[in-house]
Amino acid sequence: MEKLMQAIYGGIVYGSIFGMMALGLTLIWGALRMLNLAHGSLYLVGTYIAFTLVNILKVPMVPALLIAALGTAVVGFGIQTLLLNRILGKPGWDVGSLIVGVGVGMAIDQSILLIYGPRVKQMPPLIPGIFKIGRVVINYNYLVVVAVAVISLVLLSVFLSKSRHGLAIQAVSQQPDAAQLMGIPTRTVFLIVMCISAALAGLAGALLSTVYQVQRESGANAMVMALVVTIFGGLGSVKGTIWAAYIVGLLQSFLMVYLGAGTALPGVFLFMMLMLVIRPSGLFGLGEAQRL
Amino acid sequence: MLKVTDLEAGYGGSVVLHGVSLEVRDGEAVVILGPNGHGKTTLLRTISGLIRPSAGRIEFDGKVLSDMSPADIVATGVVHIPQGDLPFPELTVLENLLMGAYLPEAWKQRKEKLEQVYELFPVLRERSRQLARSLSGGERRMLALGRGLMSNAKLLMVDEPSLGLAPFLIEEVYRKLHDINKSGLSVLLADENADHIAGFADRVYLLEMGSIVGEGTAEDMLKNEALLAAYLG
Ligand SMILES: Nc1ncnc2c1ncn2[C@@H]1O[C@H](COP(=O)(O)OP(=O)(O)OP(=O)(O)O)[C@@H](O)[C@H]1O
Ligand SMILES: [Mg+2]
Repeated sequence: MEKLMQAIYGGIVYGSIFGMMALGLTLIWGALRMLNLAHGSLYLVGTYIAFTLVNILKVPMVPALLIAALGTAVVGFGIQTLLLNRILGKPGWDVGSLIVGVGVGMAIDQSILLIYGPRVKQMPPLIPGIFKIGRVVINYNYLVVVAVAVISLVLLSVFLSKSRHGLAIQAVSQQPDAAQLMGIPTRTVFLIVMCISAALAGLAGALLSTVYQVQRESGANAMVMALVVTIFGGLGSVKGTIWAAYIVGLLQSFLMVYLGAGTALPGVFLFMMLMLVIRPSGLFGLGEAQRL
Repeated sequence: MLKVTDLEAGYGGSVVLHGVSLEVRDGEAVVILGPNGHGKTTLLRTISGLIRPSAGRIEFDGKVLSDMSPADIVATGVVHIPQGDLPFPELTVLENLLMGAYLPEAWKQRKEKLEQVYELFPVLRERSRQLARSLSGGERRMLALGRGLMSNAKLLMVDEPSLGLAPFLIEEVYRKLHDINKSGLSVLLADENADHIAGFADRVYLLEMGSIVGEGTAEDMLKNEALLAAYLG
């Protein structure tokens, strides 16, 4: 019984975090048809902004999280306006956008190494302390992380499905020509999507810096899990991505609790492969025409 | 109101439109007739800014459209209902319609506009919560027209509204378009055959291989059946 609770609790924590990372990735795929390989590096930008603010400048945690999200959005803004806009809509976008992602990612990762050095660092928790339900240890810090993640996922879903600009993002993703004929300025929409996506990655990076250690490898790890979730949920589908995040989170957590930590990642990959055999376009995958 | 002069446009290296000139006056219904693949869609997409012209000029109400973005062109009141409808498949009918009113001016009046569109196409009200991809062909056509009408259009450009519909539905679509035109909106329509010109069009242009090869009032064109027959086969 404790094991079950432990597994569910872990799954919700992982799922919330995966969801934040994966949603950014899926939004960019939907709107720009670009796999943003710099997404993990944007996560790191959030981590290190939070680290700098909290550990070095002694800024309180809550403003530090907000500034980390905003700061990462500014980086996203720069990537879009300075780099991606130059190749947008031109032949070779598929490969070009991948290269921009790799290049920006390397530039960010190496800059972080230069500035902060190779040593692993530690951040204080958002709220220290634990309590127990039976023998399951609940960490206040994890609860805050989950709450912030869930609130941002909910706000984003409402924005996408209810507001004029959110619907416009969906419209551009689903039928770009028709979107332009409605008067939707696609380039502005791309910029908004990039900023939102970067802000989510940055916020995830900042939040998780309070859970894990602060180190450069965490960006790549976050990216891999986001990719698994996005593919699993069906690239470009917001609803599918959120579901997939919690399914993958729970799967990973159950494997860890019942079969040991070493089985988690291989298990998740195996599951993803099986899933892709059964449903090639993902859980809520849009038709082929939508995805390509 | 719309004046196209010596327009040249195409895809990459290949030129499709070779110096097209035409005009739509206030309140008119103008039909461009042309067989398969002769450039009707290319012409409309160039007017709405999706394709950059390589030469020539497009003016609307004194504004030069030829170097504006599609979004700015919509804002002038030139609204294009594309061939094949191009609905937003994963949005509901209501959300599709709302996107038609995306620009701020139209967005402010979206409630009233929605009522008008529902009045004209009652089936859209019934289907309002359904995803667009679940609609039948006829319903999709109504949605495409309704979505276009949600804007502050002054000139409605419609690309092959008869495409892929059963004959009785084609009649209905043309009746609606006629009503829309009579309510004061100018209409520029592209089609492959002359079946629906009578009672609808004021003037007709014949487009062949990317050039205008004939022009006249609908009556003259219909009298000149020999020409139409030779031309449209
Ligand atoms: N995206 C494209 N890229 C390259 N060439 C194109 C493209 N779209 C159309 N063409 C070519 O341009 C020419 C005109 O096509 P267009 O679609 O404008 O004709 P149309 O009169 O609308 O035909 P239809 O009745 O089939 O809709 C054709 O020769 C076509 O092959
Ligand atoms: Mg056509």
